[in-house]
Amino acid sequence: MARKTALKVFAAVLGLGVLMACSLVSPEASFARTHPQELGAGRPVCSECHTTDVSKGALKPYAAFDHTVGFVKDHRFQANQDNNTCASCHAQSFCSDCHGGKAPMKPATRLSDRPDRAAPHRGDYMTLHRIEGKMDPSSCFKCHGRANNDKCQACHR
Amino acid sequence: MKRHTHVALIATLMSATAWGQEVSLYGTTMAQMWKSEDPGFNKAAYRPATQYLGIDATKLGSDNLSLHLFGWGKTDLSDSSNFDGTKTAGYLNYGYLQYQFSKANAELKAGRFTVNQGTGFEQVDGVSGRTDLLNGFTLSAFAGKPVLFKAGDLAHLSGGAAQHNYETQRDVIFGSRLGWRPSSTGEIGISYLQDGSKTAKDMKIAQPVDYTRRQAALDLTFVPTSFFDFRGRTIYDVSNERVNVAEHDWTATLKVGSQILVSGNFAQREFLYYYAGTNLPSLFRQNDNDRFDAWGGSVTWNAPLSIQLVADYRHTHRETYGEVNKAGGELRWANAEKTMMVGASGHVANAAKTLLVDSAAPFRSLSYGEARAWAMVTKGKFTASLDGILQKYRASNPYLNGLKNLYEVVGSLGYEVTKNVKVSGDLSHATTAVSKNETRGLLRAEYRFGMASKGGR
Repeated sequence: MARKTALKVFAAVLGLGVLMACSLVSPEASFARTHPQELGAGRPVCSECHTTDVSKGALKPYAAFDHTVGFVKDHRFQANQDNNTCASCHAQSFCSDCHGGKAPMKPATRLSDRPDRAAPHRGDYMTLHRIEGKMDPSSCFKCHGRANNDKCQACHR
Repeated sequence: MKRHTHVALIATLMSATAWGQEVSLYGTTMAQMWKSEDPGFNKAAYRPATQYLGIDATKLGSDNLSLHLFGWGKTDLSDSSNFDGTKTAGYLNYGYLQYQFSKANAELKAGRFTVNQGTGFEQVDGVSGRTDLLNGFTLSAFAGKPVLFKAGDLAHLSGGAAQHNYETQRDVIFGSRLGWRPSSTGEIGISYLQDGSKTAKDMKIAQPVDYTRRQAALDLTFVPTSFFDFRGRTIYDVSNERVNVAEHDWTATLKVGSQILVSGNFAQREFLYYYAGTNLPSLFRQNDNDRFDAWGGSVTWNAPLSIQLVADYRHTHRETYGEVNKAGGELRWANAEKTMMVGASGHVANAAKTLLVDSAAPFRSLSYGEARAWAMVTKGKFTASLDGILQKYRASNPYLNGLKNLYEVVGSLGYEVTKNVKVSGDLSHATTAVSKNETRGLLRAEYRFGMASKGGR
């Protein structure tokens, strides 16, 4: 009973919120949906234009989005809060390289010609997962807990 | 989603691309080859051909309307490489119409898309929207039917009853996030996600496994100065009368000068609540009542001459298995044009303080070491890469068939036929615990056609 009441209150608040939101929408113009300049062939060198020199005007300083090894490992925080910023340079298919939901091969195989990219499960991961899975199974859960686990089911029934 | 619904959705969306003034089509065709002579199994030769295909069509009658499709299909030209013995497979990763408003960064999506806002990272067949509000607030919401996968844990034993139970419980998914960005000092958000409206105990016949999930989350980014930021999230399980913490995951980063980054992370997960809603409860067992804690950090030095050095350390503690310390480093270098890149890394996991991890092998250790080195070169229209990894285990590991060191080397050569077409071939050789010698070949063709010239890839 308490849960039903809570859900009703939540629904009412959400409904009122949606109604109010129409008059609360920001009048500011949207940001550029994609990168404003054409990116050339090959891997772009962001720091060519995005220097640390603030006199260049509105260009975002390179240090603010430098994709260090640590940034790549922890990008979930930025993506969860504002994936529109990611979308200005990365198409949705870039995310699907690893976060596809269901994949025919592991990312490290698909991207085997791109060793610079942080594709998980390199080498004989079938052997290593018997160790990593015992140390920290919650790291497996992020990708295989609800999807992309057909192969897991072959042994873990 | 039923197969004929899939076909109807794709056909409708594909035909919509005809209205697009800018249409980009991109794809990758891959052919793999390898043989298997694993002890205890029949000999087999595998030749799967895989096709990835994506379409982005913008300006569909309106400058603000666009369509995005991406999926893959696979067929085995020889023995089946699928675990269920079939020779074909395919999947629609996403396919949605998107309307982006010219103000407030507002957008609407309809179709199949991925949601990552606050607590969830979900695939949904439904609708979503987001907008900026006055005074730095943002609001987003989504609703629809969750994309369902096989709940294979009991399906083999129960004749599909578990799959039916899983699909019945997960009849709807919805969520919302309210965020606030006070100037440039960061952002705070609260979010809610509900997956399924019929819990296991709400079913006509009470079920042993609950596939539903109700979670609330708090996420925060705090950037008080240009040299420090603190970000992360806490997820709460709110499916019961009592609110329980499912996850804490927080990271602080300090910039020391212009070249050094120091970061620290703390994570804690209560499996009873963190694993809520899994479709593989036989593996991600909530009832273990287990808890995982981890803390660690890294130091990144963006050294002169485009060298990046990273040192990292992580201490993990799992109630049922004990403690592990993992440490290592990575070095990367690229020339200014990024036509030559090299990297090397090494990590050691020390599991001296673990409890009994395997009753079938009491002396089994979780300790191991890993080293990797790679290089990439682009010369005109040619590309080449070499990638090698070595994994070194303790001799007491009973699952290595007497081996101690496992390695894999992958070499790749590519040729850019035109600006939009590239072909490449890979050859890999490995020693695995199952196959003492394994050689694989892969041919790849990547192409991109279309009019859209700006934007990301």
